[in-house]
Amino acid sequence: MSLAFQASQALPRGTDYLRILPELVLSIFGMIIMVLDPVVDQRRNQKALGTLALIGSLAAIASTLWQARAPGLAFWNMVQVDTFSVFFHFLITTITAVVILTSYEYMEVQQIRVGEYYALILFGAVGMCLMSSAVELVLIFIALEISSISTYILAGFRRRAAISSEASIKYFLLGSFATAFFLYGVALMFGATGSTSIPTIEQHLRSGSIPVLAYVAIALMFVGLGFKVAAAPFHVWTPDVYEGAPAPIVGFMSTAPKAAVFAVLLRIMFQIHAPGRLGLIWVAAALSMTLGNIGALVQQNVKRLLAYSSIAHAGYLLVAFAALPQNGIPSAMFYTASYAAMNIGAFAVVSHFGGAGERYVTLEDYSGLGRRSPVLAAALTLFLLSLIGIPITAGFFAKFYVFSAALQANLVGLVIIGVINSAVAAYYYLRVIVVVYMHDPRDESVLPAVPLELGAALAITALTTIYLGLLPGRVLDYASRSAGDLLH
Amino acid sequence: MLHLVLFLIFGAICVAGAVNLLVQRHPINSALSLVAVMASLAVEYLLLGAEFVAAVQVIVYAGAIMVLFVFVIMLLNAGEEARTGGSRVAILFGIPGMLAGSLLVAWVLITHSGTQEVSAGALPGPPREIANLLFHDFLLPFEVTSVLVLIAIMGAVVLAARPESIEQQKREG
Amino acid sequence: MTPDLHLWLIPVLPLIGAAINGFVGRRLTRQAIVTVAIAFCGASFAMALYVALRFSGLAIPHLETLAPWIRAGSFQADFAFYVDQLSLVMLLVVTGVGLLIHIYSIGYMWEEGGFYRFFCYLNLFMFFMLTLVLASNYLLMFIGWEGVGLASYLLIGFWFTKDSAASAGKKAFIVNRIGDFGFLIALFLMIKHFGTLNFDRVFQFAASMSVENATAGLLTAIGLLLMVGAAGKSAQIPLYVWLPDAMEGPTPVSALIHAATMVTAGVYMIARSHVIFERAPTALMVVAIIGTLTALFAATIGIAQTDIKKVLAYSTISQLGYMFLACGVAAFSAGIFHLMTHAFFKGLLFLAAGSVIHAVGGEQDMRKMGGLWRKIPWTWATMLIATCAIAGIPGLSGFFSKDEILWRAYQASWAYWLVGVVTAFLTSFYMFRLMYMTFAGEYRGVTSDHSIVQEQAPARSRPSAAQAHHGIHESPRVMLIPLAILAFLSIVGGWIGVPGSLGGSNRFDRFLGPVFRATAPAVKPQHAAPGETAPPEQTTEGLESHTGRGTELAFTGISVFAALLGLYLARLLYLRRPALPERIAAALNGLYAAVANKYYVDELYATLFVHPVVEGSKHILWHGMDQGVIDATLDNSADATRHVSDSLRHMQSGNLRSYAGWVAAGAAVVIAYMVWTGTR
Repeated sequence: MSLAFQASQALPRGTDYLRILPELVLSIFGMIIMVLDPVVDQRRNQKALGTLALIGSLAAIASTLWQARAPGLAFWNMVQVDTFSVFFHFLITTITAVVILTSYEYMEVQQIRVGEYYALILFGAVGMCLMSSAVELVLIFIALEISSISTYILAGFRRRAAISSEASIKYFLLGSFATAFFLYGVALMFGATGSTSIPTIEQHLRSGSIPVLAYVAIALMFVGLGFKVAAAPFHVWTPDVYEGAPAPIVGFMSTAPKAAVFAVLLRIMFQIHAPGRLGLIWVAAALSMTLGNIGALVQQNVKRLLAYSSIAHAGYLLVAFAALPQNGIPSAMFYTASYAAMNIGAFAVVSHFGGAGERYVTLEDYSGLGRRSPVLAAALTLFLLSLIGIPITAGFFAKFYVFSAALQANLVGLVIIGVINSAVAAYYYLRVIVVVYMHDPRDESVLPAVPLELGAALAITALTTIYLGLLPGRVLDYASRSAGDLLH
Repeated sequence: MLHLVLFLIFGAICVAGAVNLLVQRHPINSALSLVAVMASLAVEYLLLGAEFVAAVQVIVYAGAIMVLFVFVIMLLNAGEEARTGGSRVAILFGIPGMLAGSLLVAWVLITHSGTQEVSAGALPGPPREIANLLFHDFLLPFEVTSVLVLIAIMGAVVLAARPESIEQQKREG
Repeated sequence: MTPDLHLWLIPVLPLIGAAINGFVGRRLTRQAIVTVAIAFCGASFAMALYVALRFSGLAIPHLETLAPWIRAGSFQADFAFYVDQLSLVMLLVVTGVGLLIHIYSIGYMWEEGGFYRFFCYLNLFMFFMLTLVLASNYLLMFIGWEGVGLASYLLIGFWFTKDSAASAGKKAFIVNRIGDFGFLIALFLMIKHFGTLNFDRVFQFAASMSVENATAGLLTAIGLLLMVGAAGKSAQIPLYVWLPDAMEGPTPVSALIHAATMVTAGVYMIARSHVIFERAPTALMVVAIIGTLTALFAATIGIAQTDIKKVLAYSTISQLGYMFLACGVAAFSAGIFHLMTHAFFKGLLFLAAGSVIHAVGGEQDMRKMGGLWRKIPWTWATMLIATCAIAGIPGLSGFFSKDEILWRAYQASWAYWLVGVVTAFLTSFYMFRLMYMTFAGEYRGVTSDHSIVQEQAPARSRPSAAQAHHGIHESPRVMLIPLAILAFLSIVGGWIGVPGSLGGSNRFDRFLGPVFRATAPAVKPQHAAPGETAPPEQTTEGLESHTGRGTELAFTGISVFAALLGLYLARLLYLRRPALPERIAAALNGLYAAVANKYYVDELYATLFVHPVVEGSKHILWHGMDQGVIDATLDNSADATRHVSDSLRHMQSGNLRSYAGWVAAGAAVVIAYMVWTGTR
């Protein structure tokens, strides 16, 4: 925060607006949906608002690509557009589009009013996008709140299910508790360095001895952010919330906000050169992987199982944060993208198969899915194999790069823990596959056909999973360049 | 010296009010404790030389927002809360952890803060400088806050509305 | 200018076959499915032959890059294929034996459901296996490595209605994962220290390093980790437990994957990485010891098994142990030689066993067989040849390859040799025991009532139903022809590697020579001159000058004697005096029980590793946190709809506080840690 009045530029310029264009587009579409919500006859046309939201997210993707040609700072050093922010913008807006595609059928089957739903997704995406491009802790905090509050509300959208409201409230209360830690951390960082601007903080911390206060500030910020990515020991909320929230929203909130928070973490850990990073990350990563995987072993509910799995994956991802910056950043970015593809895909299957009121979510319900719906089962198998980390799927290279990066930083112990965990994890993912293919169906009733939009979402996620597993080069290359941008 | 004494006194009031807010069983009592918290915070701001923020604190929080709070509580006619059992985890780990964490931070702030003392008035207090920060340097966060407020309102609408299904709509329409 | 052989077609052809059968196979007739599968597999074999024909004109190693793959920073890995003598041998074995087993499967699986699925998986397996063999870098090799594991998992669990099959598949997969991660960490170490995974670059780096002494160094670490990977895939101690269970899969699968090809991938990988191992004596010694122990250990278990396929499974583990022993004493070409002959005779043994099982309607218990040689003479004859080959009867393929290994083992240490000979004796014993129990004597099975058999193996009900009509019958010609070809190969396959002491010239060893000798480290300074053949991998001729032909012949004599002793003992116990084994078993009560129960290793692993994790997860995380706290409150609230205020009150009933408690406690730890690092 520069206290001196900068007279050079009184008003934002055109490029300033260009550099927040995706956010602007998303907000505008969000507001249009809100305004149209009472006007559109939802009895006849459930899809109209969804389509509008889809167009909005596609426009945001387009504006991200457009924006990529004009990197730089905007709004008095508040946001910075570079390859790093473009990577996450693209990821988040794409996730948004795919999640909207998976929501069409779901909302109809669950008979939920859609109006605010799509608007909230778009507004949430605004916050997440801002988080990835903001270089100012105050702005990051506000963006984080936008993304969090929208997910709190979205988690409670299954109004007729008690567990959904429960999930929403739980998430809200605990989330606010965690955000308070983050805010306190920001305040202490200001106290330690006299600024909330990340580049200034970086300079300050590099120039002299690091005040102890900065360590405490990092600790508090890590608590807040660790909660949002469901890293142990701040993961306790995850299974409950994932179980209660609508399935497409779980796909959303386990990927997009996490990606955004990881972007912030990358900035704080690597750009600021957070002191004391190594030990902190080491323990959190090891704990997350172990608790997540062990917890998943005995789950009977598929959503809970995937919740524990997401804790474990947060752990794998954190391993990258303990590595050296030039390897750690690209591998973390690649992991985020891979995890997004496979996890949204998995939850798309869960949301279709769940049926009205999400009745079919236990493992037994999945028995014989291979015979009842070969396409759905094949897609689910692909995503699960990717979550295990089998070659030619995204999950393999994601783990490969992360562990490889960690080993290059001589983190042998952490890599071994991760590797053992991956072996354990194979067990529960395989359990699902075994049930899907090798058990007799419990009831032979015909599953509803996969509608076009959901099919498109499944195709996008499946193709991305395979693309990242077969030809990771391009994405990784881009991520490496982003790492360069971030570090300089 | 007087400043420091006053600061400590109002700080104590603030903390006591916050604790009271939590332990009171009736919502009205909690709301009134919150008023005390807000008001003593305003005094703290004033003591730090932030007159404008102090004034805003009193007008907006202690005034407008708390009045709304109390109104809502009255309208809903909320009775006493039912108390539920505690949690062993919270008692064994949570509360001690919270206390230990706060004490640690306090200790670091006292012994290792590393920053110089700032005399009252050195930090931006006058409205003009705040306006400069808010509408210039921090223009974007300020504007983005509107999105935050918007979704918070939407959240209230969504979660407070009765779960109304499309079927019901059809019946009514 | 080296010619472009389109090597990529070799793995991709079976993949196309798999894709066709996988996507549209359900709508095709059985003939069409078979045509597709065989045609693409055959084309792959033809390509391999073509490569072999053009081989002399190639610059070795011959490298073909199909497409760039990953180029991130300095790290680079391409879709590139690598042919040298070693991969050519593997290529021919995999495609050749693979094709024969494909043909055999037509007859074996004809009556089964999911016909198209089976051939789809089989072709998929071929794709991954050929990728593994042809890869020019460790990463691509690893893709094939994991891929064959996946295909193996699918094929073991093929009869998924059987619970045992499903869990066997899972067990194989998970045990393999443990090994795979050893492999993976080895790759990470290579990336870290060499910056590349390409064979030529890695070997260049490794070759430039000096031989490491007993204190471990980088190459030793990489070598040991590679060995962990190999032990998983090739079923060596302590990761062998999955292979016997894998016999739940259809028999052609056992023949192809769990005998001839996939399980030998570990041996191939170690031979491929010989440059690393040659410079890491400690790792090499571990390979040798594990190989020796596995050979003996598995052979002893094989003695007491009664399931015909289980005997063969333990026999496979034991023979793989021989191959590791060979690699461990730096006799890589001997290991590969045995790999090849083993592919012939063990493939044949499994296929013949499949033919037996087919004939008796799904029965696998040898105690219910007997006297079959009259009824299925072709099967009997071919199986006898294979048994003689594996037992080491002179003149057959197994004799030469095993003899070569034992001789080289002796040169390293007499202990290896001694264990090897004892294992040879045991091998001969349990194999002839199998032959006598199955084919000699009287038929002990149930002839009229086949329903029992059907219940035991529901998925195989149709062959047994067919059998109920026809009685015990010889297999169709489509199954017998592969048997005959493999029998022929089992006889002559060894003749290309006849060692010098027996009047041969060991052409096989010389053929593989360039691969293994060019890079061997110089032990003595005078051999260090570039381009000169270095000592550790010496030709057999060279060694004769030290120990003499007579000694080698004497050792050959001893191993032949061991084989004949095994034959005699089996004949004595299972033909002449069938009551004797029971008495011996009774006399050695405890020991026999231990052997028959595979030394209780499965139980041990279950107690040591599986139970603690699962139970811990159940009790601590599930009952303790999940169920006790969360589910208990959920159950109370599950009735009907609730409004926000309701859930809010409900939320305050304990668990939310616990959650906040966890967060607060965690935060305190984090703050404390950071304060500690900050003030230090």
